Amino acid sequence: MDSLVLQGVTKRFGKVTAAQDVSFEAKPGRILGLLGPNGAGKTTTIRMIANILTPDIGRITLNGHVVGPWSQEQMGYLPEERGLYKKVKINDQLRYLAALKGVHARESVPRIAYWVKRLGLQQWSARKAQELSKGMQQKVQFIAAVLSNPRLIILDEPFSGLDPVNSEFLREIVAELKANGRIILFASHRMEQVEQLCDDICLIADGKLLLKGTLRDIKRRFKRDKLALEFDGEAPFLNAMEEKGDLHFLERNEDGCIVRLAEHFHSRSLLERLLATPDLELYRFELLQPSLNEIFIRTVESQ
Amino acid sequence: MMSRKSLVVMQNEFMRRVTSKTFILTTLLGPALLIGFFAIIIMISISAVEDSPEEISSLRIAMVDETGVLNARILDQDTGDHVLVTADLSSAHEGVLDGLFDAYVHIPPEVISGTSQPLLYSLEGGGLGVRGTLGNIIDRALEDHLLADRNVSADVRSIFDRVVRLESVRLTDEGEEAGAPAREGYAIIGMVLGMVMYMTMLIYGTLILYGAMEERTTRVVEIIVSSVRPFDLLMGKVLGIGLIGFVQMAVWVLMFLGAMIFAGPIIGMFVDPAIYDLPAAATNQEILAAADISMPHISVGLFIWFILYFIGGYLLYGGLFATVGTLVDSPQESQTLLLPLLMPMIISIVFLSVVVVNPDSGLAVGLSLIPLTSPVPMIVRLAVTDVPFWQLLLSYGLLVLSFMGSIWVSARIYRASILMYGKKPSLKVIVGYLRHG
Repeated sequence: MDSLVLQGVTKRFGKVTAAQDVSFEAKPGRILGLLGPNGAGKTTTIRMIANILTPDIGRITLNGHVVGPWSQEQMGYLPEERGLYKKVKINDQLRYLAALKGVHARESVPRIAYWVKRLGLQQWSARKAQELSKGMQQKVQFIAAVLSNPRLIILDEPFSGLDPVNSEFLREIVAELKANGRIILFASHRMEQVEQLCDDICLIADGKLLLKGTLRDIKRRFKRDKLALEFDGEAPFLNAMEEKGDLHFLERNEDGCIVRLAEHFHSRSLLERLLATPDLELYRFELLQPSLNEIFIRTVESQ
Repeated sequence: MMSRKSLVVMQNEFMRRVTSKTFILTTLLGPALLIGFFAIIIMISISAVEDSPEEISSLRIAMVDETGVLNARILDQDTGDHVLVTADLSSAHEGVLDGLFDAYVHIPPEVISGTSQPLLYSLEGGGLGVRGTLGNIIDRALEDHLLADRNVSADVRSIFDRVVRLESVRLTDEGEEAGAPAREGYAIIGMVLGMVMYMTMLIYGTLILYGAMEERTTRVVEIIVSSVRPFDLLMGKVLGIGLIGFVQMAVWVLMFLGAMIFAGPIIGMFVDPAIYDLPAAATNQEILAAADISMPHISVGLFIWFILYFIGGYLLYGGLFATVGTLVDSPQESQTLLLPLLMPMIISIVFLSVVVVNPDSGLAVGLSLIPLTSPVPMIVRLAVTDVPFWQLLLSYGLLVLSFMGSIWVSARIYRASILMYGKKPSLKVIVGYLRHG
């Protein structure tokens, strides 16, 4: 199987456990979102996959073989803590980074030309990195991550610091790489980005894997307990219901409201009540799917 | 020792720097400044040597001899370019004040019995040169007088002038004469190696230190270590920047040798052969030899060991500078760690004279085996004595192992310190790095 597999991976730094018994699988042609609050152990997990750190317990395999120096050449990495050699020209810099991945200048030079053009950096390729803006440097770092045509691409907060136009541009490229059958690992704490991009999700907090599965499965696992209402007329019984603890107002305005239904309370009874109320015109009654952000917060809080 | 990746790193470090403007400028201008500096010193000292006899020759000195027996013997002698005039005390005194004489010497009668000393009077106090020359002349005259007084013949007198010099000859194992050991000359070789290594570390050590910090300060480190092991990275860096040092020094040495070809005639032009009692037609070689500007003869084997020990020592200290570079986040922090680093090298230079005099003593053998001090003492021992092959092998083996060890230690610290930017490591943390890194 041509995928990245983590099995019971644990890493400790002194008394701190940065990753505890983490297991998941990232498949080719899919984007796996590694989610978690700051300090959750995302970066430690990524560093172990990138063979910068070695796990204390457990094993990490790519294509069935334990990761090591060999897999580093099959892997492109855009870390969150990123930089470039300040005084080195972009072209030279990328050629060096490609050479470290085992790509000969023969092959890397045309590839660099392609990517530099694709990301609109032609005029900058003969300049030193320190002359580039932060956003441009980030695009250079992105090129470095994909230059060796790696099977596994790890992107840690790739959009932070990018303007919307460039973010969108990068998203398209990532989607293209996914279509090419690469394994893509996308780490972020920006839920809306993960929701847009990822096929699979791993939620990490305090070094532990709290949730994993496809995005759709995870969303299904969480009940649709949020209700959006739009109506014309009076519905005083809603207040009574809140006092009884059947529901809880999240938002309220003239046209309607968003409420969270209590576990024991069934939405059908509310619908019947609304329909039975005279002089009340119901426009909208929608059970909303929980956002990833809500799932994230609820899961972390429930720990 | 060299993986493919450290080769890539080495090549990159080397090419990046060798093509930089800074490198080209310092390589070309460094020696120009140095040569200019030395040229000024040489010209000043040479002109001082040439000027001094003229200054002395212009002196008119009155001799007031109250012993009544020394004057003739004094005037008999070769007084150099001095003009000595006999005078009585009051006229000599007046003469100096009037500017008629530059100085006068008063020799009281008690000088014969040794209860008094002659005195030199002048307005300017008199230079050491004049005092020395006149003192010797008076001393010689007094000696001649006292010996003649006791009827000592000229033959006996000449016995006193004889000087014995002990020459030393080194024997080979077969009992053949292997030429003079010329220890003083070989001590210079050790001195040169010590100085060259010390200077090299001062110039390139910090370059290596900055190099080892570069990835972390620019934060490119995580991209790099996801492609290459810290050991290979640091090895490549130390070797690459080290090679820069070699190239720069090789260029300087070539420039120096080129300059030497022209320097002989130039020195010859400034130096008057007459100063060294040579005929005016003397060749430059003769003049240089007479002026003691000559090099000790170095065998090919010794030269090769010189280069090998230089490389070994250079790389070991380079590795240690890299270690310091992995421990700190800014050059300022490194200052306190650098001095103790260079201490062993300074110690080995300090003990140089002991090693030259007693090359087979325990101290000399010990110093030449310990990796941090070995290069300088060992090269001196190789020059002065026959070093057992096992010692040479052990010494060099330890040197190479220590170099590898220094990179290994740096790599472990490096791997661990990637995780903590801006956190100053305590000794405890460093030990932790080494155990867990």
